[in-house]
Parts: sequence; structure tokens; C-alpha cells
Amino acid sequence: MSEPLRIGRPHERPAPPKAEDLNLHFSERAVQELEALKTHYPDLKACVLPCLWIAQREYGGFLSGEALAEVAFRLKRSYAEVEGVATFYSMYNVAHKPGRHKIEVCTCLTCSVCGGFRVWEYLKAKLGVENGQTTPDGVFTLEEVECLDACDRAPVIQVGDRYIGPVNEATLDALLAELRASEESSVVQMANEIVQVHLAASERA
Amino acid sequence: MAERLLLLEHAADPNFATLAGYQAKGGYAGLRKALAMDRQGVIDQVKASGLRGRGGAGFPAWIKWNGIEKTKTQPHYLICNADEGEPGTFKDKQLMEQTPFLLVEGMTIAGFATQADCGYIYIRGEFIDAARAVRKAIDEAYAAGLLGKNILGTGLDFDLYIHLGAGSYECGEESALMSSLMGERGMPRLKFPHAPLPTVAGLWDRPTIINNVETYCCAPSILTNGGEWYASIGASTKNSRGTKIFSVSGHVNRPGNYEVEFGTPLAELLQMAGGMKGGALKACVPGGSSVPMIRAEAVERAIIGYEEMGEVGSMVGSGGCMFLNEHTCIVRFIWRTSLFYARESCGKCTPCREGTKWLAQILDRIVKGGGRSGDFELLQQVCSQIDGRSFCGLGDAAAWPVAGALKVFPEEFRHFIEHGKSVVDSPLREPAMV
Repeated sequence: MSEPLRIGRPHERPAPPKAEDLNLHFSERAVQELEALKTHYPDLKACVLPCLWIAQREYGGFLSGEALAEVAFRLKRSYAEVEGVATFYSMYNVAHKPGRHKIEVCTCLTCSVCGGFRVWEYLKAKLGVENGQTTPDGVFTLEEVECLDACDRAPVIQVGDRYIGPVNEATLDALLAELRASEESSVVQMANEIVQVHLAASERA
Repeated sequence: MAERLLLLEHAADPNFATLAGYQAKGGYAGLRKALAMDRQGVIDQVKASGLRGRGGAGFPAWIKWNGIEKTKTQPHYLICNADEGEPGTFKDKQLMEQTPFLLVEGMTIAGFATQADCGYIYIRGEFIDAARAVRKAIDEAYAAGLLGKNILGTGLDFDLYIHLGAGSYECGEESALMSSLMGERGMPRLKFPHAPLPTVAGLWDRPTIINNVETYCCAPSILTNGGEWYASIGASTKNSRGTKIFSVSGHVNRPGNYEVEFGTPLAELLQMAGGMKGGALKACVPGGSSVPMIRAEAVERAIIGYEEMGEVGSMVGSGGCMFLNEHTCIVRFIWRTSLFYARESCGKCTPCREGTKWLAQILDRIVKGGGRSGDFELLQQVCSQIDGRSFCGLGDAAAWPVAGALKVFPEEFRHFIEHGKSVVDSPLREPAMV
């Protein structure tokens, strides 16, 4: 019998990006957080998801090519692998830089029968954007999302770490005004919150 | 019957989310009892309790716990599936936010029984409030010597880590969850009998236990009061024991989580939630979006229990119970369901990736008034081509609600296809905001 066909060299992995090709942006704090995270798992690969959260915070809410390259470098993965992971999950912003606030509107089952599509149409018209788009002033990104699992509060929306519902036209108007006035990015803040809950009390800065 | 509160008894008390408040209500008695037994004794208690997995499949919990090698030769892992994503379900969220110590204690008990080195709580990324509550509980437990090294001076070491997802329904499937936890795309893996069970080779190919939040939360009271006591609850049913939390939503007056004993009529659940709002009951999706819907007549007959729900053609599932009133268009509801699965299919296998997309496309043309004759049969055919042929349960879960609705509301689909409009006279994207 002949040897089975082997394509590629199974024990060699694509090399991670080299440090000299990169602009490393992680702050001192981020590096420390990543070091703490590495102790949670038996290998570096498992840190990819939490490290992407760190990167999402460090890069202002957007996982640009540079951000993905830095994650790949720090975890010794190939760029393609990290990009493959990041693009699978809906909460990582890989398409374009989101606005200061990402408004996620649930139109899934319970919300759909409790007015979720009205909320969706109302916000689209009010902000003048389509699904996934950001307003020209860079304040809001609007996204239609699947079940947020807060069906008792249908129709519900999520902005950063806040669940808001049930909403109606008046509460939405008030919310938009409130968000417009707030300078802090709820996208970055959410990414930070997610990083923090991974860390034990002794590991948090 | 009324609510039977085992897990949610103290949920409304904010002190219960603190260690002092939890222990004041008898918290950690279960772990102390467990640590006084041998490992097999703990598993035997869970076996006697008849506890079945609360994540949707209803698999007996003790079989998993018992399946771990008894003589430890390698690291063992414990995972809590807190990636609650099933549309209509929000019980794990409440459990984590309000009773996080039940989860921490339950996982510590399971960790002891299965000699796990550490546990990972995989929480859905959106659930930041739940994650913060669990984080606070874990920190407190570490500070009090209830986690970490030498727990309660017994020599038991057990660590708990939180790992957040990043937005993917598929990661609720156990093998996909493990892929995600290991830093990959959340895609499912080959399963038994084609691959070893997770209890043999799971996370990092090590023996692994994976259970739902609610399942772990049941462990403290089982150990405290004994498995036989737990098994006496819900004993009127064929093979369902204890209580189940149902997340009631839709057109009801008081949506929320209601914990009931198995054997409770489904109609009572509706009463607990304050009855129907805006019109008479038309249909009910009793166990999350994946389960077939049933008509109002069947709701009257349905008894809550894993086997009993099967008699009316549905399932307990994850307990996401949606009640729909007479003004709901079933075709549009199913259209939205299929859109969900089409968007959340991970794309790994052809029956699911293509099938869910076709279901969504066919239903989309029907709700836009462009249904063709033969679409009814086409939908049935696509469902049968997905069901049982997909790599993981997501494909089945996408086919069941469509096939179920075609079976119980055929007239609505036929009417929509034939006339280009719904039997329920309301514009597309109908209801007003609350």
C-alpha cells in the first residue's frame, strides 16, 4: 500500500506576525490583564476570545487588522486564525468602527410579537441608518440582533451593558437624547466590563 | 398547584446574592454534607434524585457525573453552560443574577464528585449583569475559603473561572461551547458514538462534565435534603423529578420566571403569569423556540413533564414558554423563527447551513405575499431533509418548529400561500410597542 496523501505539513503552523511588523497598542494594564488570563487555561489558544475583548477595548471598540495582528502576536497564533475566530462572533466589531453607542434591537420571537419590529423601524427612521450602519456623526450604530433573552421585558434593546425594556417611542426618544449627551463610549465600556468579569479580585488592577 | 420554589425561593432577597445572606438561608450545607461523604455517595444522591439536565435535552445528570474516570490519571474539567440563547428563555440569567451562590456551590459539589481541577462558567457575552453577579460570588467564596486551595479544610482544591462568549447561539451546543472555550470558532464537534463522550475526552481532550446553570443550581438542595426527598417532588409524572423554571413571555399579563413542580398543568402556568393579554390564547411554544408549538386546546391538556409534554406533541425543552394570543399570525411567527436559525447556523454542515436558509427564504416569500402553490409541501420536504441529518442539534431545532406549525396550523399557511395575506388581519410587522 502506498502512503496516504498528505497535504501540507501537519506539525507546522503558520507563523504569528512578527513584532517588528506591528504597532503594538496594548497598554501596560492590558498586558497585565492578559498575563493573568493566561493562568486560567492550560494553553494560549484559549485566551483568544478574552484577548479579543481586551483588544476591542484597547482599540476603541473596533477590531481593526492591526488589533487582530496584535492579538495574534501576543498569543502566538497566526493572523488568519485570530481573524477566523473574531469574525465568527457577532459581538466583536470587525466590519467597521462602530459609533460611540451600539444600539442592539431584538426583533426575535417574543419581541416580534410584542412590537420589536416597530422599535426597529422607528429607530431606523429616527437615526436614518440601516442595519449595521453608523450615523454620520459617529454617535450611534444600529443593529438588529437575535434573542437577547430578556423576553419578559419585550420589546427590549441593549446598549452597552444596559438592557432597556419594554421600550416605546417616548422612552426611545429619551434614551437617544441621553446617549447623545454622554461622551463615554458604551462599546468600549462594555468590552472593559467583560474583561473585568474574567479576572479575580486579586487580578484586577 | 401553585409555584414550588426551590431555586427561586429567595431570589427576590438581594442579601441572597451575598455569602452571608446565602449562608443565613442554609447555603453551603449541601457542600458540607457532600464533603463528608465519598465521591460515589454524592453521585448516588444525584442518581436517587432523578435530576435531569435542564438545558433542554433532559439527560440524567448522574450518568454524566458517573461517567468520569474514578481513578484520576489526568486533569478533569467542569463546565457550566451559561450560554443561554434559546429565544424565549431567561431563567439562567435570573439564577445567575439573583442566586449566584447556588451555582457556585452546585459546581463545587460537582467538582468534588468528579475530581475536577477547575470549572469554567461559559456565560453568554450579552449577560454582563449575570457575569458581574457570579464574579462577585466567586470572589466572596474565594475569600471565605470556599473555593481555591483546601476548601473548608478538607484538602479539596477547586478553582472557578468565568469565560464570556461573544455572541453566538451555536455556542450553547456543548461541543461548540467547548470549541469556543478553547479559543476557536464556535462550531460543533463529532459526537458519540463517532467520537468519545465529553466525560472521556472533552475540553482539551480531558474528561469533562458539562451541565446547564439550572442543573448545577439543583445540586445544593439535593445534597442538603437527600436525593429521595428531591425525587418525591414531581413524582406524579412518569420520569421527571423536582421543579423546573419556566420563562413565561409573550401575550401574558405578568411575564417572568415561574418555578413549578413537574406534573403541574401547563394551563396553570398561564394563570400564574396573569393570564392572556390582548386576546384569547391561540398557541403556545412551551419550551423555547426549538420545540413544536401547540394549539390552545392542547395547552388545556398538557402536563409539565419530559414525557408528558411529548403526549401533546411538544417538549419541555429549556423552559422558554411563549403564549400567543388570537391576533398573532402563526406564519409570520414561524418566518421569524426560521430567520433566527438561518442567521445563527454556524455553517459547518450542509443540511443546516443550506436548509435553514431555504426555510427562511420560502417563508419570506410567503409572508411578502409571493407564496407559490406547492410551498407548503416544499417546506415539509426541506424540514425532513434537515431533521436528523445535520451535524448537531441546531438543524433539528430549526426544522421542528416549522414542521410542528405546519402540522398544527396548516390552514394558516395554506391561506397565506393562496391569498397572499394572513388570516389574521394585521399589517406586516404588526403589534404596537407596549
